[in-house]
Amino acid sequence: MSSPLARSPIPPGPATERDGWEVDARVPGGPLTLSDETPLAKVHVRAPFDGASRAALGVGFRRTRRADLGAGEVLVVGSGPGEWLVLGAPGTAGALRAAVEQRLAGTGEFTSVLDLTHGRALVRLHGAAAPAVLAGVCAIDLADAVTPDGSAFRTSVAGVVTDVVRDDLGGTQRSGAAASDNGGVRSYLLHCERSSGRYLADALLDAGRLSGLAMTGFRGLA
Amino acid sequence: MSILPTTRRTATPTSQRLGHRAGEVIDRSRTVSFTWNGRPLSGHPGDTIASALAAAGERVLSRSYKYHRPRGLLTADYLDPGAFFQVGDEPNVRGAHRLLEAGMAVSSQNTWPSLRFDLKAANGLAGRFLATGFYYKTFIKPEPLWPLYEKVLRTFVHAGAITPDPGAAYYDKRHAHPDVVVAGGGPAGMAAAVAAARAGASVMLVEEDHQLGGHLRWGDGAALARLRALRAQVAAQPGIEVLTDAVVTGRFDDNWIPIVARSLPGITERLVKARAAVLVVAPGLIERPYVFAGNDLPGVMLSTAARRLVNLYAVRPGSRAVVMSANPEGDAAVADLEAAGVEVAAVLDARRQQGVARAHGRGGLRAVETTDGRRIEADLLVTATGWTAPTSLLNQSGDRPVYDQAAARFVPDPDRMPANVLAAGGIVGDGTVDQLVEQADAVGREAARRATGGSAAGTVPGLRPAPHPELFAAGTGGFVDLCEDVSAKDITTAVAEGYDSVELAKRYTTVTMGPTQGKLETVNAVALVAHATGRSIAETGTTTWRPVYAPVTLGALAGRPREPVRYSPMQPWHERHGATPLVAGQWIRPEHYGDPAAEVTAVRTAVGIIDVTPIGKLDLRGPDVAELLNLLYVNKWSKLGVGRVRYGVMCADDGVVLDDGVTGRLGEDHYLMSTTSSGAATVWEWVENWLQTAHPEWQVHVTPVTTAYASINIAGPRSRDLLSRLTDPEDVDLSADAFGYMNVRTGTVAGVADCVLWRIGFTGELSYEIHVPASYGLHAWERLVAEGADLGVRPFGVEAQRILRLEKGHAIVAQDTDGLTQGFSAALDGLIKLDKDDFVGLPELRWQQGRDSHPRLVGLQPLDGTVVPPEASQILRTDGSIAGRVTSSRMSPTLGRAIGLAQIDPELAEVGTRVTVRLPDGRDVAAEVTGLVHVDPEGERQRV
Repeated sequence: MSSPLARSPIPPGPATERDGWEVDARVPGGPLTLSDETPLAKVHVRAPFDGASRAALGVGFRRTRRADLGAGEVLVVGSGPGEWLVLGAPGTAGALRAAVEQRLAGTGEFTSVLDLTHGRALVRLHGAAAPAVLAGVCAIDLADAVTPDGSAFRTSVAGVVTDVVRDDLGGTQRSGAAASDNGGVRSYLLHCERSSGRYLADALLDAGRLSGLAMTGFRGLA
Repeated sequence: MSILPTTRRTATPTSQRLGHRAGEVIDRSRTVSFTWNGRPLSGHPGDTIASALAAAGERVLSRSYKYHRPRGLLTADYLDPGAFFQVGDEPNVRGAHRLLEAGMAVSSQNTWPSLRFDLKAANGLAGRFLATGFYYKTFIKPEPLWPLYEKVLRTFVHAGAITPDPGAAYYDKRHAHPDVVVAGGGPAGMAAAVAAARAGASVMLVEEDHQLGGHLRWGDGAALARLRALRAQVAAQPGIEVLTDAVVTGRFDDNWIPIVARSLPGITERLVKARAAVLVVAPGLIERPYVFAGNDLPGVMLSTAARRLVNLYAVRPGSRAVVMSANPEGDAAVADLEAAGVEVAAVLDARRQQGVARAHGRGGLRAVETTDGRRIEADLLVTATGWTAPTSLLNQSGDRPVYDQAAARFVPDPDRMPANVLAAGGIVGDGTVDQLVEQADAVGREAARRATGGSAAGTVPGLRPAPHPELFAAGTGGFVDLCEDVSAKDITTAVAEGYDSVELAKRYTTVTMGPTQGKLETVNAVALVAHATGRSIAETGTTTWRPVYAPVTLGALAGRPREPVRYSPMQPWHERHGATPLVAGQWIRPEHYGDPAAEVTAVRTAVGIIDVTPIGKLDLRGPDVAELLNLLYVNKWSKLGVGRVRYGVMCADDGVVLDDGVTGRLGEDHYLMSTTSSGAATVWEWVENWLQTAHPEWQVHVTPVTTAYASINIAGPRSRDLLSRLTDPEDVDLSADAFGYMNVRTGTVAGVADCVLWRIGFTGELSYEIHVPASYGLHAWERLVAEGADLGVRPFGVEAQRILRLEKGHAIVAQDTDGLTQGFSAALDGLIKLDKDDFVGLPELRWQQGRDSHPRLVGLQPLDGTVVPPEASQILRTDGSIAGRVTSSRMSPTLGRAIGLAQIDPELAEVGTRVTVRLPDGRDVAAEVTGLVHVDPEGERQRV
């Protein structure tokens, strides 16, 4: 029996296979794009809000950081109070979960680490006009002063509970500590329940119709 | 009043287009063709519909609301009550504001058979019977005739025709968070915006008209030069977003400011939901009409209307004019008219007690009667008798305007305005353009300071309203509200009948309740009420100006259709195979695949598979999970072993059934809980609430994983055969001994690792519920279909599942229970463990059991097995009183007869009791109470 292929809830255009996933075969590019990033590994962490686990993960609530937790470069997102989401390359979920568990084991705190790769949909809205598109479906202030690069927040996007992560690409400064404009291109990761993924992608494409938003291929974290 | 054609001569109207004007906004190099009541006409880009009609010589543009009197232009702007048109399939278009577009089909509204000859103008002949309160007094009796009255009255509704087809209109919404919103793009608004932007604030500048500039646009050369300079300053500020053809429709708490914007590329209307740190209100002033007999005749207009027509659209508004002026703007209108070649027959200087008494004409102005008794032939009467400050947004901010008698207008009270609202320009007071700009500049800087947290407050120079004579009504009659056809006499009559407060008079006469919403009418109405009551205007006060400032279309409120929907991973398969979709909350599920009865039979005789992904699933981890389950479920959980599954029911504190499901123990400290599909979010919140508020000391982490798994129930006597083809017995042994009923295993299914397999039975058959990592759900489903072909596998939908579970007597929470159903009324007697130390709902359930008077959930079978009583049919006692209701009912394909479940009072709940069921159509049928389980009551089919 051949290995089954994992499928995203968002139907791809021309499809190809990558790391056991069916992904959109188009080369990512364009001034304003939406890409399906569902194949990224998604490891969910529960731990005390502000304890040793937070220190071990290196980031707190509402912020993100790039790091290597032992399974390659990942994006650690402080997605909720006492809640983290760690995003890694496709196909690394098992190793990433194990690495995170190992990292947290020494804290002595009550923690849970779950692989939610298959339970969530993830898209990236990328381009200078991304805030304008998002403003059509999201009430949060997307100004640099309020939600700079490296921000994370949970809100309603087109009526769907969504974790929004500002993750500008191509910039020079990635710590996201407090800076706003790091020279990169505006980019948002939007993360929701898998069952709502198709709807969310359609809603974003609709909101970006007049701005020229187009679907493109898988980008990944780079 | 006349129902005759509106002009004596039937000559074709001649062009009234003037030569080039310095401030004109039309593009003469191009022509735009359109039709007016079917007649081809043309105008230029930049024309409004009304200006193009006026340029074509059309003076009568509409018929009035009640009396169908001919009406022409009054204000020549957004508010003009005489220029509401039907444009294509869009009704109530503000024709003095909407720009002309090629191919527009423009027509007058509610005129028959034509605008010129309108039979409904006969209403005018009965005018004295249609006075104030006519509707209230006339149509209240006899009450049964109201539907007939309503039908007839509807034909008189003064509005256009809508189409149910929204066509290609594109409405959307956008959120915005500017530091400062400036409402009004006149000189003060522009200056305030520029100052705020220069001080570092992000600014949204909103102007109702199509260009910035306000009254500067129709001013003289100096005004136009100033206009160009201010526009250049605005354009030079990247921090200013300009929205023209846009209206701030209200101001709500914390400066939540809805703005409706038109004229955006590709968008019919956009509702901008702005949350501004500071709102600057700079709408300027609105010119106020004067009330006198004949003031609604076509040819009577405001000075600003005449100046707009001449200077913006290069249209001669008449041939021979009388001007009544009480202010410099009226004087300027005289100059503009003369420059446009209009013969100014007389200027009546209201500052010297000269004025208009009456206007005469039939279908249009023909002569003006002055207060000193002169009669002057004219086809144009221009009035400049005062200003109204549109304080709506300030009122909505908590301000209450006060009447300034010397200026003859209400002005804002700055002491009552909140810190995040400022006012600039003419709404505050009068001055030269320089003075207005200076004040607005200071306001803009102050707005930026407040918005961005700057240091010391600056000084804002004052603006005082200029003295102006009080001119409201000539005392000869006329209309106060041209939208609603409310006359001065109507106001007087209302007061005489006891409606002596302006708020009461408003509601009784509907004055100020038309599309202009009082902006032209309020002060005159207040003055008339004051005059009739003998009180002062200040004592009388104004009506309340509430949101919305301008009417909003339903399209703008609705925006894009965004109703979240949820799909399972197998949805593409369901769509390809003709499943009938069922909307279940946000989920789209297969209701059936064409023949639910056959799907039931397949499950009973072979094997069926159903997509049950929407079943709620919570991952529970931690050493205290068992404590949590013991608290939330009515049954016991302490001894659930690893690999075992147990059914549980949750009740709320009042003992009412909240949800049910099974929970399996996957590891020592790891459980998977299922909930009903509709209850998934509620249960998650319920669990978290108890953990966080009642037992924060418990170590339990709850993670919703509903859509992390694609869930498939494989049911039927051959389900084991089918599943065994996709599993390795070394990994998951499906034999009855190794994997018994109410057990759980984890393993690989169809090559997919980390699946969870439950052996449970909602359908009453041998069945397995497999939970596959969702990304592989479609793969697993397709493999089940392929591998089960020779076993007779058949997909079944929600309808078949409902029948199967009903045959088995399994209740569905919220179907067979309701918001009052406590545990013992849901046939949970064996499940509820009152001997537990505690659980949520325990006291109430003890009391319920002790009372023993509660309804019971029972099985029900009509004696005539062909009759299926619809759900919610009532069950009657012999005396006709209600003893219960049918909660579920279906025709059972397995038994070939109707079956059901019912909640019924205890005295009728014994098995074998005959009851009467009243159907919705009034018929009664006999039925017998049975046990809950209709098929396989011994459970032999599922425990194999």
